Amino acid sequence: MKKGIVALGAASALLLAFACSKPTPLKPDLGASKSVKELMAARGLSEADVEAALRTYVPTGKSDDYMIFASGGQSGQVLAIGAPSMRLLKVIGVFTPEPWQGYGYGGDGNAVLAGGNQMGKTISWADVHHPNLSETNGDYDGQYLFVNDKANARVAVVDLKDFATKQIVPNKLVMSDHGGAFVTPNTDYVIETSQYPAPLGREYVPITEYKDKYRGLAMFWKFDRAAGRIDVAKSWAIELPPYTQDLADAGKLDSDGFVFINSFNTEMAIGGTLEGKPPIESGASQNDMDYLHVIDWKKAEKLVADGKTTDIKGVKVISLTMAAQEGILHLIGEPKSPHGVDVTPDGKEMVVGGKLDTHATVYNFAKIKKLIDDKKYEGKDAYGVPILNFQESIRGQAEIGMGPLHTVYDNKGNAYTSVFLESVVAKWSLKDLKVIEKVPVHYNIGHILAAEGDTVSPDGNYVVAMNKMSMDRFSKVGPLYPQNFQLIDTTGDKMRMLVDMPIGIGEPHYSQMIKMDKLKPISVYPLGENPITGKKDPSATLAGQEKIVRNGTTVDVYMTAIRSHFTPDRIEVEEGDTVKLHITSLEQSEDQTHGFTINMMNIDLSLEPGKHENVTFVADTPGVYPMYCTEFCSALHLEMAGYFLVKPKAKK
Amino acid sequence: MAATTRHLPVVQNARAWPLRFTVVGLSIAAAALFCASYFFPWWRLWLFAPQYPKGLEVGISLTGVSGDVRELNILNHYIGMKSLDLAAVTERRLAAQGVGLIAALGVVLTLVTGRRVGWLIAVLGAAFPVTFIIDSQYWLYHFGHVLDPKAPIRLPPFTPQMFGTGKIGQFMTWARPDPGFWIAVAGVACLVLAAVLRRRVCNQCARKEKCGMVCPSAFVGPGAGLAPKE
Repeated sequence: MKKGIVALGAASALLLAFACSKPTPLKPDLGASKSVKELMAARGLSEADVEAALRTYVPTGKSDDYMIFASGGQSGQVLAIGAPSMRLLKVIGVFTPEPWQGYGYGGDGNAVLAGGNQMGKTISWADVHHPNLSETNGDYDGQYLFVNDKANARVAVVDLKDFATKQIVPNKLVMSDHGGAFVTPNTDYVIETSQYPAPLGREYVPITEYKDKYRGLAMFWKFDRAAGRIDVAKSWAIELPPYTQDLADAGKLDSDGFVFINSFNTEMAIGGTLEGKPPIESGASQNDMDYLHVIDWKKAEKLVADGKTTDIKGVKVISLTMAAQEGILHLIGEPKSPHGVDVTPDGKEMVVGGKLDTHATVYNFAKIKKLIDDKKYEGKDAYGVPILNFQESIRGQAEIGMGPLHTVYDNKGNAYTSVFLESVVAKWSLKDLKVIEKVPVHYNIGHILAAEGDTVSPDGNYVVAMNKMSMDRFSKVGPLYPQNFQLIDTTGDKMRMLVDMPIGIGEPHYSQMIKMDKLKPISVYPLGENPITGKKDPSATLAGQEKIVRNGTTVDVYMTAIRSHFTPDRIEVEEGDTVKLHITSLEQSEDQTHGFTINMMNIDLSLEPGKHENVTFVADTPGVYPMYCTEFCSALHLEMAGYFLVKPKAKK
Repeated sequence: MAATTRHLPVVQNARAWPLRFTVVGLSIAAAALFCASYFFPWWRLWLFAPQYPKGLEVGISLTGVSGDVRELNILNHYIGMKSLDLAAVTERRLAAQGVGLIAALGVVLTLVTGRRVGWLIAVLGAAFPVTFIIDSQYWLYHFGHVLDPKAPIRLPPFTPQMFGTGKIGQFMTWARPDPGFWIAVAGVACLVLAAVLRRRVCNQCARKEKCGMVCPSAFVGPGAGLAPKE
């Protein structure tokens, strides 16, 4: 009897195991090859090399711990890079058409790019400078990325749901920007500060009237998080003196509500080399001190709400006089031709790198706040802006070396400053302002980034040196060399150089590094979604709804794409017809992307699963145009094709 | 004397009622399990190929297919296989009524069948999952054999494996029953047990001799009782 029960139990257990089992595919057994020592000898690697390799190698199928969002410089794009492997994951089309993403070649992305046109011109490139991730309570939340275009004074919004650019807003008042895009701790505002002063609103003013009529500007773009867009109508600006405003950072925690902006050329040099005057580079480097701008943006926001603004070209601007009178803008001396201003994780201090000075100066927010509250001014500048005493505003200065630029932080109270002229990263203590260690980088480091290093809670494990020159680091590719990102491990007592990554697409400026698990991108769009609106497109076409509708000389084509055919696969129109293609990908499987082109028409779309695209064009030249899928989608990809025919107009 | 003894229900029922109600209880349990199986997938099929590292997974229930159906249909169109929505349309439409009928019949048959045809209860129960298997097998055969001759890829006709591993093109397939099936099997087990116990009771029934195709006492109705012991 007992035996029977045991047998029955065993049988049911087996049955249950079978019922609940899930098969797994076989994994190939790769086996080991030569011994590590032999390999090291053969490839000439040291133990340090091997250790660095072990710290950065990410095997196939495994994910990186961090994602770096790097400015793509003159490419106009943003790069997504995995760390610690330092592998390029994606070039995100932002300001420049990106054919791989079907961005700017006839589809709905054209409208996004056109939104960034300036002064009636189509601008198809950008000088991308500073990507900034959206923040919640001063910490990255992984939802959005903002980035500025220095050359054409624009800011773009990238949605990290699909890593696609949704909006480009042109600044209609200034000609260039540099202090952007920086966000306030809850992403209420995206800050964009002008660089080269010019008349606000862009009329012609002789350069001899530079001091009177040329101005700087701090733009506060209001971000509507629910809509995922900048709300241009609710945005406003503050007029600034014609000092060349440079980098900026938003205060957080203790210093929340304030924005700090560097400047150089407080000399207001305007060049004139042909007339025998000194070039700007020397004219702008005469003073030992320039001005750190301290802006109380919460106070400014109230002024805007009270309507105390001037309208310039439809933008609400707090005038310089008003800003000075109302205590919104204060200046503090900063040595000399400074570059980065970086708020510490606790929000209590700001570190300014003096490009032509050997120090990083540590400003103390509490001291500054007290001077402002007590109205204790050293004097006023030519525009009536109160100036605070330098010595009374700082805690001290760290003797860094030649050409300190930018500073990032770890979680152990250390700061890491890029030192351009010395080509080193300097690690120093925020406690006693003493340099702990310097590690050589290759070469001419500009910006520096750390893992979540400009948030309220840095991770402290990695620093990346973004070097302007690579010289002897990589194989030769002609006179235009790649830039060089160098990953440095900062977990130990000593910094350890791990790996180089050549950047062969542009000169990156700033980058940020976010923990991978904070990013939650989608892998397919819901069927018929228009990624620009984030909604199902009114022209979304499902299986069986395909049709060609003629209305006068306008032909609407409702199309679908699925492995391995377009429906319809034959479209015939008449010469001169306006053709509107509405194409929905009916795919819903991960990574099953189709492309679409009509040859010779400069049309190229990327149809990710579920995505809908609209293309409008005039069929002005009669002929036979093949159309086909441009992404190798399936075994019958080459057969995923059709014909677009333009019939000549009947002769009357 | 014998007649009086026959009408002494206290003694007789002390032995027979628990068993009789157990039998009826089992048939009700079977009905409940059959109904429950309606809400679970009965079968599960996986397909593996290099470009599907997670595999494709399809669940088959009495009312339809779930899982990566969209992807499977896209793949199937290459070999000219019909869309899975076209499989067993009638069966799926009548599934709810069918399950209800079988569940109710199990209880009714338990109450009304005569001693000699009590085995019908077990047969009825077993017929349920067996029909499912036969019908599925038919549709698998049908889908693998009625292929569009104009399809881009022509495969020799085939029948996908219903149990264990198989191979279709570059895909390794793996199939097995899912909880719905096992729940139904548990229901069948209840009915089989009910039939066995019922037979034991009926063999000792006082009205054994009068029993034909139909139980005169409706098994637990008035007059049901055991014959007196010799």
